[in-house]
Amino acid sequence: MNTVKEANDVLLDCQNVWKIFGARSSAAVKAVSERGLSKKQVLQDFDCVVGVSDASLQVRRGEIFCIMGLSGSGKSTLVRLLNRLIEPSLGKIVVKGREIAKLNPAELRDMRARNIGMVFQSVALLPYRTVLENAAFGLEVRGVPKDERNETARAALAKVGLSDWISRYPSELSGGMQQRVGLARALAADPEIILMDEPFSALDPLIRRQLQDEFRQLTKSLGKSAVFITHDLEEAIRIGDRIAIMKDGIIVQVGTAEEIVTKPAGDYVAEFVAGISRIHLVKAHSVMRPVADFKTSQPHCDVDALLKASPETDIGELIDITMRSERDAVAVVENGSIVGVVTTRGLLRGVAGMPAGAPGAA
Amino acid sequence: MDTSVITDLFDTSTDNALGWIGDNGEWLFEFIRFVLQGTYDGILWFLELAPFYVIAIIAGLLAWRLLNPVAGLLAGIALAFCAFMGLWAETMSTLALVATATILALAVGIPIGIVAGFVKTFDRALEPALDLIQTLPPYIYLLPAIALLGYGPATALVATFIVAMPPSIRLTSLGIRMTPREFIELGQASGLSPWQMFTKIRLPFAMPSIMAGINQSLMMAFGMVVIAGIVGSGGLGETIYGAVRTLDIATSINAAIAIVILTMVLDRLTQSAAHRAKAGVR
Repeated sequence: MNTVKEANDVLLDCQNVWKIFGARSSAAVKAVSERGLSKKQVLQDFDCVVGVSDASLQVRRGEIFCIMGLSGSGKSTLVRLLNRLIEPSLGKIVVKGREIAKLNPAELRDMRARNIGMVFQSVALLPYRTVLENAAFGLEVRGVPKDERNETARAALAKVGLSDWISRYPSELSGGMQQRVGLARALAADPEIILMDEPFSALDPLIRRQLQDEFRQLTKSLGKSAVFITHDLEEAIRIGDRIAIMKDGIIVQVGTAEEIVTKPAGDYVAEFVAGISRIHLVKAHSVMRPVADFKTSQPHCDVDALLKASPETDIGELIDITMRSERDAVAVVENGSIVGVVTTRGLLRGVAGMPAGAPGAA
Repeated sequence: MDTSVITDLFDTSTDNALGWIGDNGEWLFEFIRFVLQGTYDGILWFLELAPFYVIAIIAGLLAWRLLNPVAGLLAGIALAFCAFMGLWAETMSTLALVATATILALAVGIPIGIVAGFVKTFDRALEPALDLIQTLPPYIYLLPAIALLGYGPATALVATFIVAMPPSIRLTSLGIRMTPREFIELGQASGLSPWQMFTKIRLPFAMPSIMAGINQSLMMAFGMVVIAGIVGSGGLGETIYGAVRTLDIATSINAAIAIVILTMVLDRLTQSAAHRAKAGVR
């Protein structure tokens, strides 16, 4: 039932994948699979570097999955394993129900051309081709007739707001515009999954934000799935439905932005999320108190008279509601009944990132 | 130990080998000679169809379009000057020699360069051979050529062909190898077949380097074609060689000026074509 449906929805499934680099990598792989060596031991015993260590993740249809990590964390290696630009040392990668390691060269080319698009940090626009010819590149490779592919490419360029630039050359465009062409090139081929390898990292902050919002909106409206690589946690939070945090080749936590910010797994993630603004991340359900609890501390307050909000309301909106209210509390309503109360204290606690249910809640 | 025995043995066997090749491969060399002479005659016949001013005007227009109006004017006047010196026929036969040798060198060199660009071991094996060709004094190629092909333009063409080939091989191979990494990755991620990778990514990126190779081959050919005057190449090279033998300084200087003019015009034209290829790749 439910589990079957979920399994069907998984477009890209990466199971216990390892990538080990080095002259003696095959011996190291054997040792890892037989004896379960750690990364450190592999480096000591075999002089091999572990790029990705035992990574598992699932990307569902229509989901934007962010992989966040600093340089050297293995995130770029991981994304290249997903379309087999790099061969995995161990583990299984299944795309649309097919294990990509078992595809022959022609099948692999076909899958890359039709199902998995890729956008690069370097953009990699062909300098001797116009913007339109660049956007039509993926379709050209597949042998789509010129008129048809140009029409599709034109539509893709219109989606990223570059209709007026189609006959220009890449060198005439700004960095942000070039990256839009890169995105249009990936979209024109109409893949189900788009791999984004730090696409916006080289852009200035204002343009970057703009492109992040556009990318998210576009991907959602077209129903595409995306794996988005970034070294910027704020970017991951802005774009991703779910986020995986990588460190030294290991995925240390996978979760929604709220889960990662409110329940960081370990000190490494906690350190990362320390500086992140919680106002739009933390929702009413994680800062509210039970109604009975509220009533005992403030017996004179009529809970039914409070302004109401849903459990998914974020702290920013809750602050707005509180400002409009005469009381210092907001009732949280789900399915017509009050399930909790968010007090001003609760809001402050949420903003400061203190764990929910901390003592002294009155 | 007396090493002269060894060297004598080496020398006689080289002579014998050359003699054997000459005796047994006569039909082959007759054929090569026929093809080379035929190509050269054909190109020369074509160049001599038009009077000198037509060719000067065509060169001027080309330089104008590819470079600028001043270059066009200068190129036209300079070529016409060759005719005023009474050296037009020699200039054209030199042009025909250079064109034939360069076209042959490119036809062989560019494919070899492409293979060398892909196959690292082949490139490494080729490297010392190319070094050898380029460091030996160019006169060396005239001797075996004259032994096998006799006195005349065919011999000059073979020697020029050998000297002109290495730059196009080297620069083509370099261009193929220098494809930026991210574009190879783009090609792979887009699902390109090996042939598409070559025609749509590698070759366009190699184009500026290949064009530079063409220019370099042409310049080497010009250098050699003068030296080949010794073996009866005809054209300006033979004019200079004749003038040197009779100490006719005036004629030798005139012919040298004509060579310089021809070289410069062709150099600038092919260089600007190479720059255009580069501008495309920016």
